[in-house]
Amino acid sequence: MTHPVDTILSLALLSVLFSLGTSHLTGLIRFVAFQGVVVSIVPFFIGHEMTGGGLLFTMVTLWIRGVVIPLSIYLVIKRVAIHREVEPIIGYHASLFAGLVLIVAAFVVSYKLDVPLIMKSVLLIPTAITILVTGMFMLIARRNAIAMVLGYIMMENGIYLVGTTFSTRAHHIVEFGILLDVLAGVMVMAIILQNIKQKFDVVDTAVLRTLKE
Amino acid sequence: MIEILMLAPFLTGIMAFFLSRSSGRALLVLTGAFHLGLSVLIWIKRPVALFPDYFAVTPEGLLSLLVISLLFFLIAIYSTGYLKAAEIKSEHIFTGSMLIFLATMTMVTMSDHIMVMWIAIEATTLASAPLIYTHRTKASLEATWKYVLICSVGIAMALLGSVFITLAMDIGKVDALVSFSALTSVAKQLDPMWLKTGFVFIFVGYGTKMGLAPMHTWLPDAHSEAPSPASALLSGVLLNCAYLGIFKTNKIMHAAGLGDFSSTILIVFGLISIMAAATFILKQTEYKRMLAYSSVENMGIIAFGTGIGGIGAFGAIICLIHHSLIKSSLFLTSGNMLLGYGSGLIEKTGRMAKLMPKSFVAFFGGFAGISGFPPFGIFIGELFIIVGAFRTGHFFVAGIFILSLCVIFAGFANQVMKISFHDTTAEEIKITEKASMVWPQYALLLTSIVLCFWLPDSLYQTIIDAVANIGGGY
Repeated sequence: MTHPVDTILSLALLSVLFSLGTSHLTGLIRFVAFQGVVVSIVPFFIGHEMTGGGLLFTMVTLWIRGVVIPLSIYLVIKRVAIHREVEPIIGYHASLFAGLVLIVAAFVVSYKLDVPLIMKSVLLIPTAITILVTGMFMLIARRNAIAMVLGYIMMENGIYLVGTTFSTRAHHIVEFGILLDVLAGVMVMAIILQNIKQKFDVVDTAVLRTLKE
Repeated sequence: MIEILMLAPFLTGIMAFFLSRSSGRALLVLTGAFHLGLSVLIWIKRPVALFPDYFAVTPEGLLSLLVISLLFFLIAIYSTGYLKAAEIKSEHIFTGSMLIFLATMTMVTMSDHIMVMWIAIEATTLASAPLIYTHRTKASLEATWKYVLICSVGIAMALLGSVFITLAMDIGKVDALVSFSALTSVAKQLDPMWLKTGFVFIFVGYGTKMGLAPMHTWLPDAHSEAPSPASALLSGVLLNCAYLGIFKTNKIMHAAGLGDFSSTILIVFGLISIMAAATFILKQTEYKRMLAYSSVENMGIIAFGTGIGGIGAFGAIICLIHHSLIKSSLFLTSGNMLLGYGSGLIEKTGRMAKLMPKSFVAFFGGFAGISGFPPFGIFIGELFIIVGAFRTGHFFVAGIFILSLCVIFAGFANQVMKISFHDTTAEEIKITEKASMVWPQYALLLTSIVLCFWLPDSLYQTIIDAVANIGGGY
């Protein structure tokens, strides 16, 4: 039987493919926001009952990962990016193909791993691995600084999903601290992006190559 | 008491954002003095934290804390002189960030919970980012971008590693706190496969922040573009904070009987860092970058010593303390040079012995110390590490280690001679050497020398306690 969470996770997997294929920053940001929403609502489907604190924390996570973080980067795009291309180093078709290979590999790996799961979902670990590695791929395969920041956000989303999948010993205070760090990190990056635009007039990291050795 | 130590610089940091230049500088020094006083008190009393699940006073944490406190106080004094001469536009952001940076680093030293440690280390990245961009130039923006992105991505790996360690607990059916001290005592029950995986990820993550090659690429940029007081802090204590994360995880590995695995990783990456630094120092054209690569080298030495274990681990801690003292003094002096010559290039400098005699004494003394001349502690530390390597039968790696140190010394000495005695086009120096801009360096070097001849019992005992678990001591 299919676990209800698998339905939304399959959508998240699909959104990974879309984010690899899209050439527009605004499109990319929507997919990242969607993934943020999906990874934050997974705790709702975990079997055991949720405490009041748990519920509150999950709502805050949803708000920050699904709305605040994507929105802050969206505002940066509005302000700085005239060319809204992601400026790929590895082309879209090759990226898509890499994404497909990655999904297959993620399934193989997760079958090989003997990990105790807290719920019977087939897609949970493969999705977590896929989102995490796609984030890293974006960091390498895109030259646009904003796309790189989005890659970083995807990576953090993936790690959060890995964390919720494995760990039953959630300390909400600690998790909240991590969330705040990620949020502050994205804010700092957003400020740097605006400064890069002011100083260099583009957000292409090819201009950031003067410091060597 | 521990909480006050973390909160005080944080609050004064926020205050500093709204203060005028002169009161900001005063606040910097006052907070530094308060922090140092409280740190010494904590060193003597060893209090228990208010939230023992998350924070604890550990020997290795105390060592780092005292170094951070002392360095920050002296750097704050230097900053008052430097800020007057350097004319930084948004000085309130600089002082505020310095203080919040101090708060986050204090939090790192006191963290016992694995995730809290991660939060604190990531917070140091964010607090120090504005410091690197202080000069508002294109190059400093590039350095900041690289620093924030590379370190954040690297540290994300450490978060993943921490998650894997909680997984090792779940599989091993361990019911304990997710703190370093609790995990060290139940380490044998943890699942070894996931513990190893966790260590690798944590090593890569914090290793990026510590500046181990090949993940060091952000370090020379950030250290050379930041204003000198910030470079001194970055190099002197921030790298130690990241090392603390690796050191504590390594302790769990040793307690779990996986010491060989973690030691091999530490030795290999330590050697790679030393060799990478050697190649870059030889052809370096800027003095601050040269100092930055020397930090990569010293972090490599420390990782190498920790991997050797036993007396080598003791040597590594000695190197850690002395590297902080000497390297921060060198970076502060490089600030005088930058203001005096108006350029960061080695070829634009020269005849420093004549033009800036007071700074020259600090610079040359620092050079002698950092390259391991006998009266300084780095010499003793390196000697212990080499002895440890021979004792444990690591003859081949010890050979590479010694050879690389020789190459680095040759490269470093060559550049220092150019700076000190070669002819220069610079006719006169643009600053006067004020007392506040040379005495902090002298104090740092003097502390280093004193610690070589007289290691107080309590300090010695704390180092022994810190490395006891990894077979440390004589």
